[in-house]
Amino acid sequence: MMKLINERTYPSFVLVLIWSVLVGSLFVACGDNEPTTVNIEVKQETPTPESSMAVPTDAQKTKDTKSGPVTLADVATPVSKTSSAEVSEDPSSPPGGVFNRLWSDPPTLDPHLTSDTTSAGVVVEIFGGLVSFDTSLNLVPDLAESWEISSDALTYTFKIRDGAVFHDGKPVTAQDFKWSLDRAVNPDTASPVAETYLGDIVGVSDVLEGNSTSISGVKAIDNKTIQITIDEPKAYFLQKLTYPTAFVVDRHNVESGGRSWTDSPNGTGPFKMVDYKIGERLILERHDQYHLEPAKLDKIQMNLAGGSSMAMYENDEIDLTGISLFDLERIKDPQDPLNSDLVVANPSFSISYIGFNTQQPPFDDAKFRQALNHAVDKKLIAEEVLAGLVVPAYGILPPGFPGHSEDIEGLRHDVVLAKKLLSESRYADSSTRPRIVITIPGTGGTPNLDLEVIINMWEQNLAVEVEIQQVEWATYLADLDRERFQAFAGLGWEADYPDPQDFLDILFHTESDNNNGAYSNSVVDRLLEEARVETDVVKRMNLYKKAEEMIVNDAPWVPLWFAGERHVLIKPYVKGYEITPMIVPKMRHVYIEE
Amino acid sequence: MAKYVLRRILWLPFLLIAVSSVTFALGTYGPGDPVQVMMGAKYDPVVAARLREALGLDRPIIVQYTEYMWNAVRGDFGESLVYRGRSVSSLLVSKMWVSFQVNVAAMVVSLSIGLPVGFWIAHKQGTWLDPATITLSLLLMSVPIMVSIPLVLWGLCLKLHWVPCSGWGGILDARIIVPAITMGIPGVAGLARLMRASTLDVMGQDFVRTAHSKGIHPMNVGYRHILRNALIPIVTVLSFSLAGMLTTGFITERLLGIPGVGDFAIKSIFSRDYPVIMAFTLILSTAFVLANLLADITYSFIDPRIRLT
Repeated sequence: MMKLINERTYPSFVLVLIWSVLVGSLFVACGDNEPTTVNIEVKQETPTPESSMAVPTDAQKTKDTKSGPVTLADVATPVSKTSSAEVSEDPSSPPGGVFNRLWSDPPTLDPHLTSDTTSAGVVVEIFGGLVSFDTSLNLVPDLAESWEISSDALTYTFKIRDGAVFHDGKPVTAQDFKWSLDRAVNPDTASPVAETYLGDIVGVSDVLEGNSTSISGVKAIDNKTIQITIDEPKAYFLQKLTYPTAFVVDRHNVESGGRSWTDSPNGTGPFKMVDYKIGERLILERHDQYHLEPAKLDKIQMNLAGGSSMAMYENDEIDLTGISLFDLERIKDPQDPLNSDLVVANPSFSISYIGFNTQQPPFDDAKFRQALNHAVDKKLIAEEVLAGLVVPAYGILPPGFPGHSEDIEGLRHDVVLAKKLLSESRYADSSTRPRIVITIPGTGGTPNLDLEVIINMWEQNLAVEVEIQQVEWATYLADLDRERFQAFAGLGWEADYPDPQDFLDILFHTESDNNNGAYSNSVVDRLLEEARVETDVVKRMNLYKKAEEMIVNDAPWVPLWFAGERHVLIKPYVKGYEITPMIVPKMRHVYIEE
Repeated sequence: MAKYVLRRILWLPFLLIAVSSVTFALGTYGPGDPVQVMMGAKYDPVVAARLREALGLDRPIIVQYTEYMWNAVRGDFGESLVYRGRSVSSLLVSKMWVSFQVNVAAMVVSLSIGLPVGFWIAHKQGTWLDPATITLSLLLMSVPIMVSIPLVLWGLCLKLHWVPCSGWGGILDARIIVPAITMGIPGVAGLARLMRASTLDVMGQDFVRTAHSKGIHPMNVGYRHILRNALIPIVTVLSFSLAGMLTTGFITERLLGIPGVGDFAIKSIFSRDYPVIMAFTLILSTAFVLANLLADITYSFIDPRIRLT
């Protein structure tokens, strides 16, 4: 998923592009829900509530990558419909309450078009799919009761839960899923992410290209059984199905509602939308017949008008807010009245970096790139400039992410080595060295402090002078894609599914469209290609580790920061709210304690 | 007069074509495109081409422009490329309505302070109160909203808890207070000065002197003779600002959580949401032309010396 860090997101989902806009300070207060605190992480407008992808548990790593026949009967079997209905009346689980939060207008409520966190955060509560992530980010059954994977790991057979119904009470059938998946990839739907999340299914490309209207690899076997065939054994396929693109929609609802059918969506999620006024409010109410344990909250009121998040929190208008760097200082003081509301959550999975165009001088010389890497004291910047809110990055895969290895040494701060590398490079002579320009996205005029410090370190340690150029976001994207920038910053990546493929292959394979620095190493390419289809988890992770080591040493980037802990204020009467590093359905566990 | 009005109105379509074709061409030929922004970092040329086709963005620009304008003439401004499935008209109308209400509230504040103050200091001409009041109102006008809004929030909302901090609930909701104050106060200076000048002008007129000499109570002269006549230029000035009432600034909107049109317009430009940008341009151009025309007409009614030809 792509994310603008100070700017509202209009992102595609798989990986996050982070950019920091300088107007940041202005917008810090505007509308965040659970933003992180440093300027590189303060999201400007959208209450991109949490970042996108998962800290997978160890258990999940092995479970998700297991191939061969698997029935997930052992995965916490959710309560059946009848018994769960009783749960809401159970005095031990206090039901009810209204949860107030700040949000902003979701660009869409159509699951098949959803590609950003603002939409996804609402969509996952209204709609649902076969599988989902729980709040600990384990893959769990949702509308599917169980599934089997064929021995060649190509065919998935899902059994749909008996009690699963849409909000209007209509049962969910395999035909509903078949129709929904066909719709998601239909070119008329114009989903920006259909290929990303469903492209592994046999026959999807035929539909996308307009040669067919039905995915050949998706079959409704009977009312409650749906079979999906994929093109290659892919360990991450089930995780992709957790994304809204794979959610079920009600055909009647979509067809009768026309272009604005999402004004009254008939979903399968724990909440139904009862009121939506653009720019003002979006109100969700509990769906009592939910197939898992129904929500405890009566209502979620989302204020879409925005405003000063912190002020509204202090004035008891909302129950949850992110904290800006400025406010964090005072709130961390135990004397501060808000100190007791402070919640510190695990970091999201993201990395920010400076990218070099490896085909353009002077960055076509690996020694020059390495020299710049060694000349930066990331530890110092993280502690002194960014108040310890980020973690210096020496590798590519964030800590806690599958495949992350502590052994990756990376290009550490070493000025002597940096000078030596510079003198060995083709660009040692500053009089013949090309002018260096780093481009950042934004409209405000002031670059991030960390970038300024880095440029200063290059100048002081290596006498390499670098200029900064700022261009507006859409222009930035266009030029980034055309590989026009000599060097670029203000970007970060955040994975959507916990698999190293989502970082390494997408960012560094020669053929990848997202390899914006035109990095190319045939050995790395081969390792990445082998890893795509390797079914043995250990071997696969080793392939990625080798690739990551080579990439880091080739220095197409200066990896900068992994996200640090996130700081959020939650009212003490709000119970059961989990801050997750990705969008997962979670509001049904929340309740208000009077 | 009728000829003048007719001519101005007949010019409108040409003006709109000029403005809209420039806007359309700038958007299309300028760097960046909506599909790219939609896909962001995860850009795939094949998928992008497919999306452009589905959204009709792959057609020649002249076809796109003509189709857009043809539909626009019939009141259909198309569908937003960012808020998928939403008609541009529904988005713009609801947001402009919000901005309009905010502006009305702000104007109420400006008028209810500016006019009495201007009227009052006109009577204090020559005393220290006159320059002092004008200086104070100029100072208030000069405080940027980036400063005034946080100050008002800190004082009225967080310290005194008199008003809600931000959000939107319509013009009759308590949340209108902060935007009305912060946007209304800067307008006070201009109105007060205008009112002062206008009042002084009227006070020097013969009929006022006559009224005084007839022995009419000064209160009555002030109210019936001076105030009424002094208000006339104010009305004209206000009619000039009518078109501007449809928009609010995005900084104010973001700081105070007002779902107005400013922030929406800025975001539409950054995300290359062409249908929205086009509709916004067309509606505002029309509004400005009509409002100026209205101002011209009012002016000629009020001051017969002005002839519209």
